[in-house]
Amino acid sequence: MDAETQTKLIEAFGKKLSSAVRMYLEGCTRCGLCMDSCHAYASDPRIEHTPVARAQNIRRIYERYFTLNGKILPGLEEAVELDDAWMKKVYQTAYTCTGCRRCMTVCPFGIDTQQIQGIAKQLLNVAGDAPMILNMLADMSVAKAKTYTDTKANFAAAVGNLEAEIIEKWRSEGGDAVVPLEVEDAEVLYVALAGKHSIISAAAIMNAAGEKWSLSYFEAVNFGAFVGNPAKTRDISQRIIDEAQRLRVKKVVICECGTAFRVLKHMMGELPFEVLSVTELMYQYVRDGRIKLDKSKLEGVVTYHDPCQLARNGGVFDEPRHVLEQLTDKFVETTPTRGHNWCCGGGGGLVAMGEKDFRMASAKVKADQVKATGATVLVTACENCHTQLHDLNGHWNMGVKVEYLTELVADALIAD
Amino acid sequence: MLDTLYHIVMVPMVYLAVAWCIFGVLYRVASILRAPAHPHTLALFPRSAGGSLRALVEALTWPTILRKAPVFWGMLVAFHLGLVVLVLGHIDLFPQVNLVPAGSRHMVGWGLGGLLFTLPLLYFMNRRVKEPVRLISVPADYYLLLLLLFIALTGDSISWTNSWNPPIGFVITKAELATHYFDRLAHLSFASPIEGMLVNSHTVVVALHVLAANLFLMILPFSKVMHTFLAVPLNRLRRA
Repeated sequence: MDAETQTKLIEAFGKKLSSAVRMYLEGCTRCGLCMDSCHAYASDPRIEHTPVARAQNIRRIYERYFTLNGKILPGLEEAVELDDAWMKKVYQTAYTCTGCRRCMTVCPFGIDTQQIQGIAKQLLNVAGDAPMILNMLADMSVAKAKTYTDTKANFAAAVGNLEAEIIEKWRSEGGDAVVPLEVEDAEVLYVALAGKHSIISAAAIMNAAGEKWSLSYFEAVNFGAFVGNPAKTRDISQRIIDEAQRLRVKKVVICECGTAFRVLKHMMGELPFEVLSVTELMYQYVRDGRIKLDKSKLEGVVTYHDPCQLARNGGVFDEPRHVLEQLTDKFVETTPTRGHNWCCGGGGGLVAMGEKDFRMASAKVKADQVKATGATVLVTACENCHTQLHDLNGHWNMGVKVEYLTELVADALIAD
Repeated sequence: MLDTLYHIVMVPMVYLAVAWCIFGVLYRVASILRAPAHPHTLALFPRSAGGSLRALVEALTWPTILRKAPVFWGMLVAFHLGLVVLVLGHIDLFPQVNLVPAGSRHMVGWGLGGLLFTLPLLYFMNRRVKEPVRLISVPADYYLLLLLLFIALTGDSISWTNSWNPPIGFVITKAELATHYFDRLAHLSFASPIEGMLVNSHTVVVALHVLAANLFLMILPFSKVMHTFLAVPLNRLRRA
């Protein structure tokens, strides 16, 4: 690594040092309590899979360049020079952690390893070593903010092709578009994913509720957050914010994507509209009697996986459970559950990157947890989690059907 | 020559160590406060009521440790209680303060403070040298524990042997410490405590105890002991 690159990396590191991050780097006593809170270590007990070891990879750089003792007596804290070899450790920190923040629940100080992981990801971005696929996807999302007006007609045509499938789940209301676009003053701007599955069920549910809604031109997923690039994260979110303001909507509802929800709801500051997850929206419809569900549609024992970014990091715990109460009488909780639920092992960009061997090995504890419930249906409310749980189901023979909550609700819709 | 060394360690170095510690802690805290605020919330859910008060309670009672590692929690409670007792015991050595009767040979806690402080340190060291904690430890973790153990054992030696050898004490009496040493420190005097007090073979134990305590104070702002000052704000972040 040449001196110029090293200087750039240290500068990038310095820019990540908020007061909170400084405390995270300086407050750890290396007590080790966080170790087995990580699903990766609990599944495959190697020291590099512990939150503290991942954080140490970054803390040792911090000691060397940002603390007096690290400069004078680097050996005491094992402070290290940032070089090409150490960047491999940085990569390990960035991409063996899903950013689930479960370790934060057991740390006596509440040290947020995800923020330390954020430094690692930014160093990789500056060094040009970040996963290419995540950067490409993030760049495509950013570029769409400039090009979407040219492709509006194509988008509308593609969405129109979904109408039959939506009507199959719920008849269209007379005179209303099945998938409305560009609806000014709508109650809801729904932000889906690129795949049609995230549009069909939600559209049927919102139509059944008689909602005045509009489909966003943009996909919810934020690859800028996965690759740990704050500028791209902001740009990707800003497209949705601009669209919502242009249409003067009251609520922006994020599809089943935990990261997209958390970024828009909790990381973009005050917004002139309410941000909801589609799970919360469904709960409101059920609570207010705007949709009715048929319990006979869902068979078997049902359990629920709390997506980390939606639940522990987003605050949505009760809503999916209330909705599930309307779908089944055979619901069982996982152990542990809610804020302490195990991560599925697919977050932080790992699903998008592939990494199947690591994802399967590091999430055995999740598979064991689901098996222990005896459930035959595993429900979740996050695309990333769904993909990972589906893969785990095959790999570890969990013996469940993995379902999206929206699809179950859409399939159980009944008329008054 | 040796008396001069004792004098330097027990008087000017004490002032230097205390000043260095205060300045260092303020510098470290200021550098954190000067850093920009984090751009978004770092809270975990579900959010619970109580905010800062709850953060304070959690920082002092470590409920996450109690749930996960009750033995470790018990040792931490003993260690920190011991520390409080020892701090009070040392404050009591100033003649202006009398938490126990001035004529008592015993420090606050009657030696129990030392025990509460020392035994957990042995447990912490045992835990630290075993896997998996050993694998995440750095040299500073061991040196800090060794330094604390040294302070604890020399302190125990002074305190306990003093109690076991009435009427004048084996090492040094509490009254002697108050008159010849702590009172002078309270008045920022540079007079030597050696004259009229440290006359027996255990003078070296007292001097080494003070030397180690000085070193601890000097490294404190640059060590993980800073968690003392960060525990509350860190817990506040988790609930903010």
